[in-house]
Amino acid sequence: MNLFINFFATLILILFIGIGTNLNATAVLEDTTTYVYVKIEVKGLSCPFCAYGLEKKLKEIEGTTDVEIDIKEGLAMFRIAKDKQPEKEQLRKAVKDAGFTPEAVTISTTPFKIDKDDK
Amino acid sequence: MTNKTILAILWVGTILLLGCSSSSKWSFQNKIFLTDISPISIAADGDFLWLSDVAGNRLIKIDTNGNILQEHKSVQRPMHIAIFQSKLYVPEFERDTIRIIDNQDRQNLSLVKPLDAPAAVAVKENDVAIADFYNHRIVIKRGEQTSIIGKEGHQKGELYYPTDAAWYDSQLYVADAYNNRIQVFDEQGQVLRIIGENDNIQVATGLTVANEQLFVSDFEGNRILIYNTKGELLQTISSEALNKPIDIEVVGDIMWVVNHEGGTLLQYKLRH
Repeated sequence: MNLFINFFATLILILFIGIGTNLNATAVLEDTTTYVYVKIEVKGLSCPFCAYGLEKKLKEIEGTTDVEIDIKEGLAMFRIAKDKQPEKEQLRKAVKDAGFTPEAVTISTTPFKIDKDDK
Repeated sequence: MTNKTILAILWVGTILLLGCSSSSKWSFQNKIFLTDISPISIAADGDFLWLSDVAGNRLIKIDTNGNILQEHKSVQRPMHIAIFQSKLYVPEFERDTIRIIDNQDRQNLSLVKPLDAPAAVAVKENDVAIADFYNHRIVIKRGEQTSIIGKEGHQKGELYYPTDAAWYDSQLYVADAYNNRIQVFDEQGQVLRIIGENDNIQVATGLTVANEQLFVSDFEGNRILIYNTKGELLQTISSEALNKPIDIEVVGDIMWVVNHEGGTLLQYKLRH
Protein backbone atom coordinates (compact mmCIF):
# COMPACT_ATOMS: atom_id res chain seq x y z
CA MET A 1 0.00 0.00 0.00
CA ASN A 2 2.83 2.38 0.99
CA LEU A 3 4.55 1.69 -2.29
CA PHE A 4 1.38 2.61 -4.15
CA ILE A 5 1.01 5.92 -2.21
CA ASN A 6 4.67 6.82 -2.90
CA PHE A 7 4.23 6.07 -6.59
CA PHE A 8 1.03 8.12 -6.76
CA ALA A 9 2.61 11.12 -4.93
CA THR A 10 5.65 11.07 -7.24
CA LEU A 11 3.35 10.99 -10.26
CA ILE A 12 1.42 14.04 -9.04
CA LEU A 13 4.69 15.89 -8.33
CA ILE A 14 5.97 15.17 -11.84
CA LEU A 15 2.69 16.38 -13.31
CA PHE A 16 2.87 19.68 -11.34
CA ILE A 17 6.49 20.32 -12.38
CA GLY A 18 5.54 19.57 -15.96
CA ILE A 19 2.64 22.03 -15.93
CA GLY A 20 4.81 24.74 -14.27
CA THR A 21 7.58 24.38 -16.85
CA ASN A 22 5.08 24.47 -19.65
CA LEU A 23 3.52 27.68 -18.24
CA ASN A 24 6.95 29.36 -18.03
CA ALA A 25 7.75 28.34 -21.57
CA THR A 26 4.42 29.75 -22.71
CA ALA A 27 5.12 33.06 -20.94
CA VAL A 28 8.53 33.43 -22.60
CA LEU A 29 7.03 32.48 -25.95
CA GLU A 30 4.30 35.08 -25.44
CA ASP A 31 6.88 37.81 -24.66
CA THR A 32 8.77 37.27 -27.88
CA THR A 33 5.69 36.89 -30.00
CA THR A 34 3.69 39.78 -28.51
CA TYR A 35 6.35 42.44 -28.13
CA VAL A 36 9.19 44.01 -30.02
CA TYR A 37 12.09 45.67 -28.26
CA VAL A 38 13.30 49.15 -29.14
CA LYS A 39 16.66 50.78 -28.52
CA ILE A 40 17.25 54.44 -29.38
CA GLU A 41 20.59 56.19 -29.17
CA VAL A 42 19.96 59.67 -27.81
CA LYS A 43 22.27 62.67 -27.90
CA GLY A 44 22.07 65.33 -25.19
CA LEU A 45 20.91 63.33 -22.17
CA SER A 46 22.51 64.73 -19.07
CA CYS A 47 20.41 65.23 -15.95
CA PRO A 48 17.61 63.13 -14.38
CA PHE A 49 15.03 65.69 -15.52
CA CYS A 50 16.10 64.88 -19.09
CA ALA A 51 15.97 61.13 -18.46
CA TYR A 52 12.55 61.16 -16.83
CA GLY A 53 11.31 63.66 -19.41
CA LEU A 54 12.30 61.28 -22.20
CA GLU A 55 10.70 58.41 -20.28
CA LYS A 56 7.48 60.46 -20.06
CA LYS A 57 7.40 61.24 -23.78
CA LEU A 58 8.11 57.62 -24.75
CA LYS A 59 5.37 56.33 -22.42
CA GLU A 60 2.93 58.56 -24.29
CA ILE A 61 3.36 56.28 -27.34
CA GLU A 62 0.53 53.75 -27.18
CA GLY A 63 1.58 50.26 -26.12
CA THR A 64 4.97 51.26 -24.65
CA THR A 65 6.08 49.52 -21.45
CA ASP A 66 9.21 49.00 -19.36
CA VAL A 67 10.98 52.18 -20.45
CA GLU A 68 14.59 52.31 -19.27
CA ILE A 69 16.89 55.29 -19.78
CA ASP A 70 20.66 54.98 -19.53
CA ILE A 71 22.03 58.50 -19.11
CA LYS A 72 25.70 57.52 -19.27
CA GLU A 73 25.36 55.51 -22.46
CA GLY A 74 22.76 57.85 -23.96
CA LEU A 75 20.25 55.08 -24.57
CA ALA A 76 16.50 54.66 -24.29
CA MET A 77 15.13 51.13 -24.31
CA PHE A 78 11.60 49.80 -24.01
CA ARG A 79 9.24 47.19 -25.35
CA ILE A 80 6.09 47.76 -27.28
CA ALA A 81 3.19 45.58 -28.36
CA LYS A 82 3.91 44.14 -31.79
CA ASP A 83 0.56 45.19 -33.17
CA LYS A 84 1.23 48.77 -32.07
CA GLN A 85 4.79 48.95 -33.35
CA PRO A 86 5.41 52.57 -34.40
CA GLU A 87 7.39 53.76 -37.38
CA LYS A 88 10.97 54.73 -36.61
CA GLU A 89 10.10 58.30 -37.60
CA GLN A 90 7.43 58.44 -34.87
CA LEU A 91 10.01 57.30 -32.34
CA ARG A 92 12.47 59.93 -33.53
CA LYS A 93 9.75 62.58 -33.16
CA ALA A 94 9.07 61.51 -29.55
CA VAL A 95 12.77 61.93 -28.77
CA LYS A 96 12.84 65.36 -30.43
CA ASP A 97 9.70 66.39 -28.50
CA ALA A 98 11.54 65.46 -25.32
CA GLY A 99 14.30 67.91 -26.28
CA PHE A 100 16.96 65.56 -27.59
CA THR A 101 18.55 64.47 -30.82
CA PRO A 102 17.74 60.90 -31.87
CA GLU A 103 20.44 58.84 -33.52
CA ALA A 104 20.26 55.12 -34.36
CA VAL A 105 16.91 53.40 -33.74
CA THR A 106 17.03 49.60 -33.46
CA ILE A 107 13.98 47.34 -33.26
CA SER A 108 14.50 43.73 -32.23
CA THR A 109 12.42 40.68 -31.38
CA THR A 110 14.70 39.96 -28.40
CA PRO A 111 15.31 42.20 -25.39
CA PHE A 112 18.30 44.51 -25.03
CA LYS A 113 20.44 44.42 -21.92
CA ILE A 114 20.68 47.47 -19.66
CA ASP A 115 22.85 48.14 -16.64
CA LYS A 116 20.36 49.52 -14.09
CA ASP A 117 23.12 51.06 -11.98
CA ASP A 118 23.75 53.55 -14.74
CA LYS A 119 20.39 55.22 -14.42
CA MET B 1 33.24 110.02 26.05
CA THR B 2 33.03 112.44 23.15
CA ASN B 3 30.76 112.03 20.15
CA LYS B 4 33.83 111.54 17.97
CA THR B 5 35.02 108.64 20.14
CA ILE B 6 31.59 106.98 20.05
CA LEU B 7 31.46 107.36 16.26
CA ALA B 8 34.96 105.89 15.94
CA ILE B 9 33.99 102.86 18.09
CA LEU B 10 30.84 102.31 16.04
CA TRP B 11 32.80 102.59 12.79
CA VAL B 12 35.45 100.07 13.93
CA GLY B 13 32.70 97.75 15.19
CA THR B 14 30.89 97.89 11.85
CA ILE B 15 34.12 97.14 9.95
CA LEU B 16 34.82 94.18 12.25
CA LEU B 17 31.29 92.80 11.81
CA LEU B 18 31.45 93.14 8.03
CA GLY B 19 34.86 91.47 8.05
CA CYS B 20 33.54 88.55 10.08
CA SER B 21 30.47 88.04 7.90
CA SER B 22 32.43 88.15 4.65
CA SER B 23 34.89 85.56 5.97
CA SER B 24 32.10 83.11 6.90
CA LYS B 25 32.44 79.99 4.79
CA TRP B 26 30.54 76.77 4.40
CA SER B 27 32.68 73.72 5.08
CA PHE B 28 32.07 70.01 4.70
CA GLN B 29 31.04 68.20 7.85
CA ASN B 30 29.45 64.82 7.15
CA LYS B 31 28.33 62.36 4.48
CA ILE B 32 25.22 60.22 5.00
CA PHE B 33 24.64 57.14 2.87
CA LEU B 34 21.06 56.56 1.78
CA THR B 35 20.18 52.94 1.04
CA ASP B 36 18.08 52.17 -2.06
CA ILE B 37 17.11 55.79 -2.57
CA SER B 38 17.50 57.79 -5.75
CA PRO B 39 17.13 61.28 -4.28
CA ILE B 40 16.29 64.30 -6.39
CA SER B 41 14.93 66.78 -3.87
CA ILE B 42 15.11 67.73 -0.20
CA ALA B 43 12.94 69.82 2.11
CA ALA B 44 13.35 70.41 5.84
CA ASP B 45 10.48 69.63 8.19
CA GLY B 46 11.51 70.77 11.68
CA ASP B 47 14.35 68.51 12.79
CA PHE B 48 13.68 66.06 9.96
CA LEU B 49 14.16 65.96 6.22
CA TRP B 50 11.89 64.87 3.39
CA LEU B 51 13.46 63.45 0.24
CA SER B 52 11.80 62.62 -3.04
CA ASP B 53 12.95 59.22 -4.27
CA VAL B 54 12.26 59.67 -7.97
CA ALA B 55 13.13 56.14 -9.10
CA GLY B 56 11.20 54.59 -6.21
CA ASN B 57 8.11 56.78 -6.79
CA ARG B 58 7.91 57.72 -3.13
CA LEU B 59 8.69 60.38 -0.57
CA ILE B 60 10.64 59.51 2.53
CA LYS B 61 11.12 61.26 5.82
CA ILE B 62 14.52 60.74 7.44
CA ASP B 63 16.31 61.87 10.53
CA THR B 64 19.67 63.60 10.26
CA ASN B 65 21.43 60.23 10.40
CA GLY B 66 19.61 59.01 7.31
CA ASN B 67 17.23 56.65 9.12
CA ILE B 68 13.89 56.34 7.35
CA LEU B 69 11.01 57.34 9.64
CA GLN B 70 8.07 57.56 7.26
CA GLU B 71 7.22 57.17 3.59
CA HIS B 72 4.49 58.13 1.15
CA LYS B 73 4.21 55.76 -1.80
CA SER B 74 2.40 55.96 -5.12
CA VAL B 75 3.54 59.37 -6.25
CA GLN B 76 4.67 59.37 -9.87
CA ARG B 77 8.22 60.61 -10.42
CA PRO B 78 8.22 63.17 -7.58
CA MET B 79 10.61 66.05 -8.27
CA HIS B 80 11.47 69.22 -6.28
CA ILE B 81 9.05 69.20 -3.35
CA ALA B 82 8.06 71.99 -0.94
CA ILE B 83 6.67 72.07 2.58
CA PHE B 84 4.28 74.79 3.68
CA GLN B 85 2.22 74.75 6.87
CA SER B 86 3.05 71.07 7.41
CA LYS B 87 1.72 70.10 3.98
CA LEU B 88 3.89 68.45 1.37
CA TYR B 89 3.58 69.86 -2.15
CA VAL B 90 4.73 67.28 -4.67
CA PRO B 91 5.18 67.91 -8.38
CA GLU B 92 4.47 64.64 -10.18
CA PHE B 93 6.59 64.83 -13.29
CA GLU B 94 4.85 61.96 -15.05
CA ARG B 95 1.24 62.72 -14.10
CA ASP B 96 1.46 66.50 -14.66
CA THR B 97 -0.10 67.20 -11.28
CA ILE B 98 0.79 68.89 -8.01
CA ARG B 99 -0.14 66.52 -5.22
CA ILE B 100 -0.76 68.02 -1.77
CA ILE B 101 -0.19 65.58 1.07
CA ASP B 102 -1.51 66.50 4.50
CA ASN B 103 -0.80 63.52 6.74
CA GLN B 104 -2.86 60.75 5.11
CA ASP B 105 -5.06 63.12 3.13
CA ARG B 106 -4.11 63.59 -0.53
CA GLN B 107 -5.52 65.96 -3.09
CA ASN B 108 -4.42 67.57 -6.33
CA LEU B 109 -3.92 71.30 -6.70
CA SER B 110 -6.58 72.46 -9.14
CA LEU B 111 -5.05 74.19 -12.13
CA VAL B 112 -6.55 75.82 -15.19
CA LYS B 113 -3.28 75.76 -17.15
CA PRO B 114 -2.20 72.25 -18.14
CA LEU B 115 1.32 71.33 -17.07
CA ASP B 116 3.85 69.27 -18.97
CA ALA B 117 6.29 67.67 -16.54
CA PRO B 118 6.21 69.87 -13.41
CA ALA B 119 9.75 69.86 -12.05
CA ALA B 120 9.36 71.96 -8.91
CA VAL B 121 6.92 73.73 -6.68
CA ALA B 122 7.46 76.72 -4.37
CA VAL B 123 4.85 77.89 -1.88
CA LYS B 124 4.27 81.06 0.16
CA GLU B 125 1.00 82.15 1.75
CA ASN B 126 -1.52 82.10 -1.14
CA ASP B 127 1.05 81.76 -3.91
CA VAL B 128 2.11 78.50 -5.50
CA ALA B 129 4.79 78.69 -8.20
CA ILE B 130 5.34 75.69 -10.46
CA ALA B 131 8.33 75.11 -12.73
CA ASP B 132 6.59 73.79 -15.85
CA PHE B 133 9.58 72.01 -17.41
CA TYR B 134 8.44 71.19 -20.95
CA ASN B 135 6.40 74.37 -21.34
CA HIS B 136 9.48 76.44 -20.37
CA ARG B 137 7.52 78.65 -17.99
CA ILE B 138 6.48 79.26 -14.41
CA VAL B 139 2.82 78.88 -13.55
CA ILE B 140 1.73 80.99 -10.58
CA LYS B 141 -1.48 80.14 -8.80
CA ARG B 142 -2.52 82.99 -6.51
CA GLY B 143 -5.79 82.09 -4.85
CA GLU B 144 -8.09 81.40 -7.80
CA GLN B 145 -6.01 83.46 -10.23
CA THR B 146 -3.40 81.91 -12.49
CA SER B 147 -0.61 83.75 -14.24
CA ILE B 148 2.38 82.77 -16.33
CA ILE B 149 6.00 83.89 -16.14
CA GLY B 150 8.35 83.34 -19.07
CA LYS B 151 8.26 81.51 -22.36
CA GLU B 152 10.73 79.31 -24.23
CA GLY B 153 13.91 81.15 -25.14
CA HIS B 154 17.30 82.40 -24.11
CA GLN B 155 16.73 86.12 -23.68
CA LYS B 156 16.13 88.01 -20.44
CA GLY B 157 12.83 86.83 -18.92
CA GLU B 158 12.68 83.74 -21.13
CA LEU B 159 13.25 80.25 -19.78
CA TYR B 160 14.75 77.03 -21.07
CA TYR B 161 13.78 73.94 -19.07
CA PRO B 162 13.25 75.45 -15.59
CA THR B 163 13.89 72.86 -12.89
CA ASP B 164 13.47 74.62 -9.54
CA ALA B 165 11.95 77.69 -7.89
CA ALA B 166 11.99 79.37 -4.49
CA TRP B 167 10.23 82.36 -2.95
CA TYR B 168 12.26 84.78 -0.86
CA ASP B 169 11.24 88.31 0.20
CA SER B 170 8.30 88.22 -2.24
CA GLN B 171 10.71 87.51 -5.09
CA LEU B 172 10.78 84.31 -7.11
CA TYR B 173 14.14 82.70 -7.81
CA VAL B 174 14.07 80.31 -10.77
CA ALA B 175 16.68 77.72 -11.74
CA ASP B 176 16.73 78.37 -15.49
CA ALA B 177 18.57 75.07 -15.88
CA TYR B 178 19.54 74.92 -19.53
CA ASN B 179 20.12 78.65 -19.85
CA ASN B 180 22.74 77.99 -17.17
CA ARG B 181 21.60 80.80 -14.90
CA ILE B 182 19.21 81.90 -12.17
CA GLN B 183 16.54 84.48 -12.91
CA VAL B 184 14.84 86.50 -10.19
CA PHE B 185 11.31 87.78 -10.80
CA ASP B 186 9.01 90.09 -8.86
CA GLU B 187 5.44 89.03 -8.09
CA GLN B 188 4.24 90.58 -11.36
CA GLY B 189 6.68 88.48 -13.37
CA GLN B 190 9.18 91.24 -14.17
CA VAL B 191 12.82 90.20 -14.20
CA LEU B 192 14.73 91.86 -11.39
CA ARG B 193 18.14 90.29 -11.97
CA ILE B 194 19.98 87.44 -13.60
CA ILE B 195 22.53 85.56 -11.51
CA GLY B 196 25.40 83.27 -12.49
CA GLU B 197 25.51 84.04 -16.21
CA ASN B 198 29.28 84.46 -16.14
CA ASP B 199 30.05 81.66 -13.72
CA ASN B 200 30.13 78.79 -16.22
CA ILE B 201 27.18 77.00 -14.62
CA GLN B 202 26.61 73.83 -16.64
CA VAL B 203 23.15 72.74 -15.46
CA ALA B 204 21.53 74.66 -12.59
CA THR B 205 19.17 71.95 -11.33
CA GLY B 206 18.39 73.08 -7.79
CA LEU B 207 18.35 76.16 -5.62
CA THR B 208 17.32 77.53 -2.27
CA VAL B 209 17.45 80.96 -0.65
CA ALA B 210 18.10 81.48 3.05
CA ASN B 211 19.80 83.99 5.31
CA GLU B 212 20.24 86.48 2.43
CA GLN B 213 22.14 83.85 0.44
CA LEU B 214 21.28 81.99 -2.74
CA PHE B 215 22.51 78.39 -3.03
CA VAL B 216 22.71 76.78 -6.47
CA SER B 217 23.54 73.19 -7.37
CA ASP B 218 25.42 72.88 -10.66
CA PHE B 219 24.63 69.24 -11.51
CA GLU B 220 26.96 68.81 -14.47
CA GLY B 221 29.64 71.11 -13.09
CA ASN B 222 29.61 69.12 -9.84
CA ARG B 223 29.64 72.31 -7.78
CA ILE B 224 27.65 74.32 -5.28
CA LEU B 225 27.66 78.07 -5.87
CA ILE B 226 26.72 80.45 -3.08
CA TYR B 227 25.72 84.05 -3.85
CA ASN B 228 24.31 86.91 -1.89
CA THR B 229 20.82 87.88 -2.98
CA LYS B 230 22.27 90.67 -5.14
CA GLY B 231 23.98 87.99 -7.21
CA GLU B 232 27.56 88.41 -6.04
CA LEU B 233 29.40 85.09 -5.84
CA LEU B 234 30.54 84.43 -2.27
CA GLN B 235 31.78 80.86 -2.38
CA THR B 236 32.16 77.91 -4.72
CA ILE B 237 32.24 74.40 -3.30
CA SER B 238 33.66 71.71 -5.55
CA SER B 239 34.80 69.05 -3.11
CA GLU B 240 35.28 65.39 -3.96
CA ALA B 241 32.22 64.51 -1.87
CA LEU B 242 29.97 66.08 -4.48
CA ASN B 243 28.58 63.57 -6.95
CA LYS B 244 26.04 65.17 -9.27
CA PRO B 245 24.48 67.50 -6.67
CA ILE B 246 20.86 68.08 -7.53
CA ASP B 247 19.21 69.93 -4.64
CA ILE B 248 20.03 71.92 -1.53
CA GLU B 249 18.32 72.79 1.73
CA VAL B 250 19.57 75.23 4.34
CA VAL B 251 18.45 75.24 7.97
CA GLY B 252 20.20 77.86 10.09
CA ASP B 253 23.93 77.27 9.74
CA ILE B 254 23.56 73.78 8.27
CA MET B 255 23.41 73.15 4.53
CA TRP B 256 22.22 69.80 3.14
CA VAL B 257 23.24 68.78 -0.37
CA VAL B 258 21.60 65.89 -2.19
CA ASN B 259 23.92 63.88 -4.44
CA HIS B 260 21.85 62.19 -7.13
CA GLU B 261 24.55 59.69 -8.01
CA GLY B 262 25.53 57.30 -5.29
CA GLY B 263 22.53 58.35 -3.21
CA THR B 264 24.25 60.36 -0.51
CA LEU B 265 23.42 63.39 1.56
CA LEU B 266 26.15 65.87 2.44
CA GLN B 267 26.12 68.13 5.46
CA TYR B 268 27.98 71.46 5.44
CA LYS B 269 28.32 73.90 8.32
CA LEU B 270 28.73 77.66 8.22
CA ARG B 271 31.97 78.56 10.00
CA HIS B 272 32.72 82.13 11.10
